[in-house]
Amino acid sequence: MHIMAAIQRGVWALLLWPSLLTVSMPLDCKEEQGSLSGCTSISQEKLLDRVIHHAELIYRVSEESCSLFEEMFLPFPLRLQSSQAGYACITKALPMPSSKSEIQQISDKWLLHSVLMLVQSWIEPLVYLQTTMDRYDHAPDMLLNKTKWVSDKLISLEQGVVVLIKKMLDEGTLATTDSEQSLFQYDVQPEMLESVMRDYTLLSCFKKDAHKMETFLKLLKCRQTDNCP
Amino acid sequence: MAVSSPSSNLLLLLLISSLDWLSTPGSAFLIDWDHMTSSAPLEPHFTECISRDQETFRCWWSPGTFHNLSSPGALRVFYLKKESPTSEWKECPEYIHSNRECFFDVNHTSVWIPYCMQLRGQNNVTYFNEDDCFTVENIVRPDPPVSLNWTLLNISPSGLSYDVMVNWEPPPSADVGAGWMRIEYEIQYRERNSTNWEALEIQPHTQQTIFGLHIGKEYEVHIRCRMQAFVKFGEFSDSVFIQVTEIPTKESTIPLTLVLVFGILGILILIMLIVVSQQHRLMMVLLPPVPAPKIKGIDSELLKKGKLDELNFILTGGGMGGLPTYAPDFYQDEPWVEFIEVDADDGDSGGKEDNRGSDTQRLLGLPHPVSHRMNMGCSNAISFPDDDSGRASCYDADLPEQDTLMLMATLLPGQPEDEEASLDVEERASERSERSLVPTQTGGPQTWVNTDFYAQVSNVMPSGGVVLSPGQQLRIQESTSATEDEPHKGKEGEDGDETEELKQKELQFQLLVVDPEGNGYTTESNVRQISTPPSSPAPGEGYQTIHPQPVETKPAATAEDNQSPYILPDSPQSQFFAPVADYTVVQELDSHHSLLLNPPPRQSPPPCLPQHPLKAPMPVGYITPDLLGNLSP
Repeated sequence: MHIMAAIQRGVWALLLWPSLLTVSMPLDCKEEQGSLSGCTSISQEKLLDRVIHHAELIYRVSEESCSLFEEMFLPFPLRLQSSQAGYACITKALPMPSSKSEIQQISDKWLLHSVLMLVQSWIEPLVYLQTTMDRYDHAPDMLLNKTKWVSDKLISLEQGVVVLIKKMLDEGTLATTDSEQSLFQYDVQPEMLESVMRDYTLLSCFKKDAHKMETFLKLLKCRQTDNCP
Repeated sequence: MAVSSPSSNLLLLLLISSLDWLSTPGSAFLIDWDHMTSSAPLEPHFTECISRDQETFRCWWSPGTFHNLSSPGALRVFYLKKESPTSEWKECPEYIHSNRECFFDVNHTSVWIPYCMQLRGQNNVTYFNEDDCFTVENIVRPDPPVSLNWTLLNISPSGLSYDVMVNWEPPPSADVGAGWMRIEYEIQYRERNSTNWEALEIQPHTQQTIFGLHIGKEYEVHIRCRMQAFVKFGEFSDSVFIQVTEIPTKESTIPLTLVLVFGILGILILIMLIVVSQQHRLMMVLLPPVPAPKIKGIDSELLKKGKLDELNFILTGGGMGGLPTYAPDFYQDEPWVEFIEVDADDGDSGGKEDNRGSDTQRLLGLPHPVSHRMNMGCSNAISFPDDDSGRASCYDADLPEQDTLMLMATLLPGQPEDEEASLDVEERASERSERSLVPTQTGGPQTWVNTDFYAQVSNVMPSGGVVLSPGQQLRIQESTSATEDEPHKGKEGEDGDETEELKQKELQFQLLVVDPEGNGYTTESNVRQISTPPSSPAPGEGYQTIHPQPVETKPAATAEDNQSPYILPDSPQSQFFAPVADYTVVQELDSHHSLLLNPPPRQSPPPCLPQHPLKAPMPVGYITPDLLGNLSP
């Protein structure tokens, strides 16, 4: 059953919170001299592994959230709107590779920046998603917890990628998403159906981008190691 | 406007979705239209689009019920890649008309970008279904894993189940090494003849353990995989068969042999213990002891040499009136011992007259209980053998006569001065060879001469003596007389008589003196003396009279004289004395309480000696006990 799988994954993801917290901690430290205390330097490989792990988890939880949302709120005829939700997905200004060959052709820098951009673009919508879902009458707690968890982890993922970029590319800290304009305007109280559709689209688009992030990072890792096909 | 575009897109989405209800039921391969009826004409549609490696994909279409469009080229495939709002429909980059397939190679495949498929016929007829839009990662169905193999992990201690480690390789088409695809696997197995597959947990590693397979059964295993966190599985691989038959290990046989060895040893030890503990019983079974008669109440020790006094004491009823039946049983614990109970004789003097008294009582039918009975204490029961081999053993009850005879032979409790004679008797008794009654006549003063239970009373003397006719135990007299011929040679000084006597051993009769008054049997020597002198008056009518005489052990000088009152048969004169019947009818009693007997009828010669006396025909004139009851002692 889909629900059972989703529940299992949710429980598994929730159980992994402490580990993720520990993972996220070293991401806060800065490499400047005499910076934060208790900051242990971490190797690049290990950091990359942790980042990849983050991305995998995020994708898994997002997929579970999407399927849960789909079962709960979407009537059957509207189920497969994910394909059409591709229209509504936010397209970035920065062109992104869309195939393996393309990904293998671009540089590490481009990959990392792409990932960072993706992560940063989704932080705010996920926050918005939480607010809208709270307005639902009978949203299951598991769904709410998952979305909350995902938004939290996305922030830590962002931090990790920043550190990774700093390590790998020796670049300075990048600006966060505060400068970005919020893409969603909440002027009008949306209707229920519209709200549901929007949320569903949001979730499916996020799921896709999470998969993209994960794949980028994995290919990046493969590129770092020697035995990469 | 950038701000309003999302909202407008959403509105558009809603409108399109609402239109979806009105659209004709298309293929919509992404969902299952189970509830759709098939009555409506099915327009050309896409059956399926599948990507195996997330780098390429294929789409198949079918003309539906429009068979006129089934020819290749009648329908064309167009796709839309929504990379930008200004994307256009493009035609399939590669047709495979034999399969009605459109193949998208690497250059035309983009992941994470929605694709929409469209069929177009002639005259720009478009068959389009909004549900046929997808992103490539969502239609990925990986190839089945390859190199499926299994190894035996272990077998349970009971030997009934085992565990198997199954391992495989990821599909070569899926680029798992580079991390392009994250794949997880699902193993399914089932018994050979069952229809239900058992599915194990989905996991991303390339090996998995199957627990709890049964020995001897054959299992079928196959595997499939899918992208992690995705829905669509690839196809199953080819099945692999697992079967483990029971392997008889050496270790299982070693305990078995040990158990056998210890079991046999235990049984042997048990048998040995039984043999040792029941040694005596086994010896009884294997080597039955030689029987020998025993007298109840008399310890066998007394019968040995040198203890005559004690035996005499016992036999004379040392203070207790003979051998009581309740004398301490020396052989109480030997049930196989046959006892001869000798009862006390109340009236007569001591034990001397034990047998005589009993015989007399028998003859006379006195109510004194005669207990010539054998205590056949055993009945073929195995008893403990003694050290003395000359003990009696149990005999069958089928031969009571012989036993009776032999026991009668040993009835004489006289002190066998000769141990040999007693042993002779015992041996003879044990051998069962002799049927003749061989009394242990050794010349003891208490020896009861006549072993014959029955004697015919020939005549009754006025003095009260009874004349008995000769019995049939001539042989006995022969032997006994022979043994005592020599010692009395000198005494009598009658060699000629002795020789004659020797010649006429057969003719000699044994005279019994029945003294109703009391003491004294004639001893053997007396009898001999009685029989020896030939000079005697003719018997006359065949009656013999014997006067009671005092017992004299050595009537050497007065042998002749003492014998005068004895009337002896004229033995040398007649070879055969007129056979006197053993039994005579008592006609009447005279005033002197003498028995008047009928003349014995002429009878044939007495039967041969070896004949069993008991088998001799019963004489006609047997005195019945009730007749004798009238007689007074």
